[in-house]
Amino acid sequence: MKKVFAVLLLVLALSVSAFAADYYPEYTGKPTTITMWAWTSNENYSIEEFQKAYPDIEVIWEDFGVHYEKAQTALAAGSGLPDVLMVEYSFAPQYMDLGAFQPINKWLDEETFVKLYGEEALGWCAMDGEIYGTPQDSGAIGFFYRQDLFDQYGIEVPVTWEDFAVQARKFKAAAPELEFNAPPLGYALWWVGLVWQSGAKMFDYHDGNWYIDFTNPVAEQVFEFWGELIDDGIINPTMWWNADWYNSLNMGTTATVLNGCWFAEWLRYNAPDSEGQWRVIAPPNFDPSKPHNGMLGGSGFYVTAHSKNPEAAAIFVNWLNSHPDSLRCLNQYSNLPIMVSQRYEEVVHELAIEDTFFGGQVIVEDLWDAHNLINTTFVCLPVWSNLDSALSLLLQDYADGKIDRFADILPMWEEQVIGFMEEFGYFNVIVGELPE
Amino acid sequence: MTWISKAKLKSTLKAYLFLAPFLAVFIGLVVYPIGLGVKLSLYGQRGARMWYVGFDNYKRIFADSMFWDSFKIPLFLLLVQVPLMIFLATMIAFLYETRKGGGPVYRFIYYLPYTIPGIVSGLVWSYIFSDSMSPLSPLLSLFGLENIKLLTRGNVPGILLVIILWQFTGYTAFLVYSSLIAIPKEYSEAAQLDGAGLWQIAFRIKLPLLKGPMITLFIFNAIGAMQVFNEPWMLGNLVVLPLNYTPAMYIYNSAFSQGRFTYASAMGIILAVLTCSFSWYILRSAGRQILGRRH
Repeated sequence: MKKVFAVLLLVLALSVSAFAADYYPEYTGKPTTITMWAWTSNENYSIEEFQKAYPDIEVIWEDFGVHYEKAQTALAAGSGLPDVLMVEYSFAPQYMDLGAFQPINKWLDEETFVKLYGEEALGWCAMDGEIYGTPQDSGAIGFFYRQDLFDQYGIEVPVTWEDFAVQARKFKAAAPELEFNAPPLGYALWWVGLVWQSGAKMFDYHDGNWYIDFTNPVAEQVFEFWGELIDDGIINPTMWWNADWYNSLNMGTTATVLNGCWFAEWLRYNAPDSEGQWRVIAPPNFDPSKPHNGMLGGSGFYVTAHSKNPEAAAIFVNWLNSHPDSLRCLNQYSNLPIMVSQRYEEVVHELAIEDTFFGGQVIVEDLWDAHNLINTTFVCLPVWSNLDSALSLLLQDYADGKIDRFADILPMWEEQVIGFMEEFGYFNVIVGELPE
Repeated sequence: MTWISKAKLKSTLKAYLFLAPFLAVFIGLVVYPIGLGVKLSLYGQRGARMWYVGFDNYKRIFADSMFWDSFKIPLFLLLVQVPLMIFLATMIAFLYETRKGGGPVYRFIYYLPYTIPGIVSGLVWSYIFSDSMSPLSPLLSLFGLENIKLLTRGNVPGILLVIILWQFTGYTAFLVYSSLIAIPKEYSEAAQLDGAGLWQIAFRIKLPLLKGPMITLFIFNAIGAMQVFNEPWMLGNLVVLPLNYTPAMYIYNSAFSQGRFTYASAMGIILAVLTCSFSWYILRSAGRQILGRRH
């Protein structure tokens, strides 16, 4: 049996390498230099591998603290964007719609794209059939939890959301000064991600129309679920990404976090004293017989409209985010646990090693499983920054006692978002329904 | 006749030659950007696409309640922080004067906060008021106040007041002090001979003579209040503040997070016009008062 399996694997490996050449066309232009703006750490290792395969394309990688500000400025100025721009999936439609990117179908057709990155990724990298870039890391949601606190208070890892609520109440009763989970005060990505994780969406784009339906049954279920726990004071939203928040994770005053799988790395660097205590697993579901997952963050690499050499840039973004040699570097040096590319399958077992920060858990394996539960996709609205700040303000209003019932935030948020679409000149908006 | 004008022309040319380095920088970095800002404010924009819209942006701003709401904080600072700070600074300056040589050690200490960039002091102060790191919490718990959340949205104006007072009072005191020592000694000596006390001399003799510098200080600080950005920006990492918490924050967010550069330009121009007219109004009414007294 084992032998048969080995032979099968060999055949598979051979067929993959036979196909591999087709994925990456030869570069036909003159020797050239392209630039890339990206905030992933240590992207240079992948670039070195790329230049071994394509010696005629030199890639200069630049990283700024003010990534989006700089990109917005260059976009408005009509010049100055690099050849390749890293953008979060949630912001990408806004950039596509503004004409920041150029299509690369000529060098990466839809069929190859789907083979390499899966059908869902089209929602993050393409619009109206035009492909603008390739997806790098996955934002598959993971349920991060402190094993030490779970042991201390006899908490079990929840499989259903119902169970999550039971454990949260149990924890709060045993340790009222600690938090079981602190959802973000703002950070629309999180709330949209949890709706996605339950197998639904709140908006989409299809055939030239934008669809908005925040108050569909699943989204309402998600907000009612959190709303009940928050209204009861079992769970307290807090502001994320600041020193207070990292301290609470580092010192063990917050027991669990729901976040994109890339957060494994953030924890490692920002909560170093908690080494060995964390574990991560796919998040709970409403119906465990039909497990879903969604994403929270993750970024793609897009070829910009200002690029003078889209061929070189297209070849690069495809190689960077799908070639096993690059994926290996992205995992080992850039510390991204999961890449979107289907070819990650080829290296994932080699990269799946015990992680001491997670108490020896092989997180790459568990997160890869969590990633493979993603089976839906959608296009984010092109007014993301407004959508995001509107939610922050509503949540702060709730925290300040101006809104009584948490779940009431959802329709208020929808109303504001519809207003933004109008304000920014989108008249092709269909409210109250979603495409298939 | 022609000979004279030739010489005049020559000297004028020479003068401009010497001025050229300054003029080039001034025109390139001050005049041109202002002109460009005015031009941009007349355009509509989406991404790299721009089209002429005349005064549409301005019309929209006048109807944009978010822009006008953002003046609440500057107004609060203008009415509370600026007068309070000038008062405190004047008191401190009088105290300097009572010390030998103006109390150089105290002047140095009080001046120090001014040397720290606003972004850095904003960061440090946000930690001072934070939940998990605040050195104030142990102090408060001594008084039985456990788990008090200091950094709430409602407290932010008060915290801004503390930060800005901390940062600029020493510097302002220094400016007031330098004006004080420029007042001829004879005035206070004469007053002293007539039996005036220390504070009487300070308030009745010296303070009226400081009117000019005081007006300048008031205008500078009023402009600072209108443009406040660094401190609320840093506090915004720890507490949710609206995009339009101050006019400068609204302009910044409109341009860089929403990509509405031309709309932001128009708001910038309106803010500049408001600031200028406010300064002009203060100068004019203060000038009239001074003139009035001379009659």
